[in-house]
Amino acid sequence: MASKGIGWAAGGLLAVLMALIVLASANQAFAHAALIKTDPADGAVLAQAPAQFSLTFSEPVSPLVLTLVKPDGTPVPLTSFRLTDQTVEIDNPQVLKSGTHVLSWRVISADGHPVGGSLLFSVGAPSEPPAVSEAVDWPLRSAIWIGKVFLYIGLFLGVGGVSALAWLAGPGRAGQRFVSAAILCGLVAAPLSLGFQGLDALGAPLSHLAQPVIWRTGLGTSFGWTVLIALIALGLGLLSLAGPRWAARPFALAGLAGVGVALAASGHASAAEPQWLTRPLVFVHGVGIAFWAGALIPLGLALKRQKAGAVAFLRRFSWTIMPVVAVLAAAGIVLAVIQVQTPAALVNTAYGRLLLVKLALLVFLFTLAAVNRWKLTTSAEAGATEVQRRLTRSIGVEMLIVLAIFGIAAGWRFTPPPRALAIAAAQPVSIHIHALQAMADLSITPGHAGAVAASMIIMTGDFGPLDAKEVTLVLSKPDSGIEPLKRAATKPGDGSWRVDNLVIPVPGRWTVRIDILVSDFEMVKIEAPVDIRP
Amino acid sequence: MNRYLLAAGAILVLGTNAAFAHITLETQEAAVGSTYKAVLRVPHGCDGKATTAVRVQIPEGVIAVKPMPKPGWTLQTKKGKYEKSYQLYGQAVTDGVKEVEFTGGNLPDEFYDEFVFRATLTADLPVGQKLYFPVVQECGDAAERWIEIPAAGQDEDALENPAPGIKLTPKK
Repeated sequence: MASKGIGWAAGGLLAVLMALIVLASANQAFAHAALIKTDPADGAVLAQAPAQFSLTFSEPVSPLVLTLVKPDGTPVPLTSFRLTDQTVEIDNPQVLKSGTHVLSWRVISADGHPVGGSLLFSVGAPSEPPAVSEAVDWPLRSAIWIGKVFLYIGLFLGVGGVSALAWLAGPGRAGQRFVSAAILCGLVAAPLSLGFQGLDALGAPLSHLAQPVIWRTGLGTSFGWTVLIALIALGLGLLSLAGPRWAARPFALAGLAGVGVALAASGHASAAEPQWLTRPLVFVHGVGIAFWAGALIPLGLALKRQKAGAVAFLRRFSWTIMPVVAVLAAAGIVLAVIQVQTPAALVNTAYGRLLLVKLALLVFLFTLAAVNRWKLTTSAEAGATEVQRRLTRSIGVEMLIVLAIFGIAAGWRFTPPPRALAIAAAQPVSIHIHALQAMADLSITPGHAGAVAASMIIMTGDFGPLDAKEVTLVLSKPDSGIEPLKRAATKPGDGSWRVDNLVIPVPGRWTVRIDILVSDFEMVKIEAPVDIRP
Repeated sequence: MNRYLLAAGAILVLGTNAAFAHITLETQEAAVGSTYKAVLRVPHGCDGKATTAVRVQIPEGVIAVKPMPKPGWTLQTKKGKYEKSYQLYGQAVTDGVKEVEFTGGNLPDEFYDEFVFRATLTADLPVGQKLYFPVVQECGDAAERWIEIPAAGQDEDALENPAPGIKLTPKK
């Protein structure tokens, strides 16, 4: 009896610990990072080689791979860099010959997903740009996807199955072998997924899987936490199966909590704002799936084999499943709304289309589950063998749908959610215009064609304050046949100048000119190109 | 050949018209060390509005400025120190008029008028270069600033609101 109490306490403690980990890591997560400013600017032609490069992102990032590709196509790894806030400053190790260079970057943002890109600049005069491949590595993608699906099987069917066996099944324990196999699946898939994540982060092919740096990188991302906690949860599941009888229930409970925490530690949904809401929701969603999906196989097998206590198992399952599914669905709906934002994004984005497919599968699954619950369960509980057989078949179909849903959910790994796309689209484009007599920091928000607002900080050529009498913003795009847009800026009183209600009709490279009236009779005009996103 | 001449003629006419839209000085050349009668020609208001004030900045090296009073306009000058001392009839001059203002008038957009002042172009001014007199034309709330001075190597015709200027010729 005393040992049972200790087991309870241990299980409870683990659950609390995991909850603490989730809360502690909550405020360091953000969405996908977007590049907002580079020095040199993309497409710039420089008189001489820059001493350093800088990349500014919409949020803090950590660089994974930085490469400079010389005009002849030889890549030079850039290893010396510093992070200040959202800016990565990279030292240029060598004198560059004239010609067009490519600075290729790959960084990781807080949701654990790597993002990459490249910028072109030329020293002296532009030349034919060297080829940089950014092709999708399909074998690696498939490996990541399969790894994810098997990790889900381990967590939901394995650990979830353990909890069903411990809490609902009673003495029968049918399906124990299947549950053990699922946990083993997860135990193999979890570390492999970490390696795949490392490969994806560094943009390396599958053949590099054995390199230590790959694993270090994978572990360094937030997905590293998911894998570590998943391994703990899977271990708890094994303990619950193989350990002493009194410890089975607390270990299963702790394992179930571990599933929720592991899922909440990384991924699109966990990285979304507001964090206090999304992380607990992902936790609840994950625990709910494990509870439901995990019970299906043991229940199906118990009914099929006409085990003793199968009817009691069915009764307990059908009592508890209603509130669990209600909470699971509610959490899922809130998360989907946060991620997708607008109904149009359901159709327009890959993420939304995956969600639609998942919803279709869910409708099917819920129909089956409802039929089982309200039409078959009562007769099955009464002991009707024929109905119990039908119920078993139906549970088998449910299982297949659940697996398909795992496959869909694993596919989200490759599709940024509409929420992140919207954040990226809303990023301003910022440029610094420097002339002898005056300088300006201009940002256009959002940095794409359409209705925008411009904000300018005006300074003297040596970074001193410049109290301009009037500031006028002129945007022109000579190649488009559009007349220059000329707007007088207003002073909102915070030291900046603003132009609101500006509409940039087409994307592309515009010339921005700022006319600064320094005194009654002195006007300074500075201009620079600015790239407006579509 | 004729076609080229025609094109050249068209450019000349159009060019003249464009220049005519700006505020300009009637006499576009003057010798340094001489007295210059500046006649500012104001061909129109600001985007259709009537001109109510004309203010001229006097560049360094131009001294002994005397504006000609104009009926219907209030004439004022702003005085200040020159950057250096200039000789005028054997006397050292260190300060004088830096700005001339014709205010309180009303020159409708469809009429033309001239604003006149006399000044001495000192012998120190750089021969062969242009000397600019930035002008602010006010039309009630609106204003046109004819204050742009081309940077080295910049084409004056490319400016939207060029300051009126004269070419400095050698002393006679």
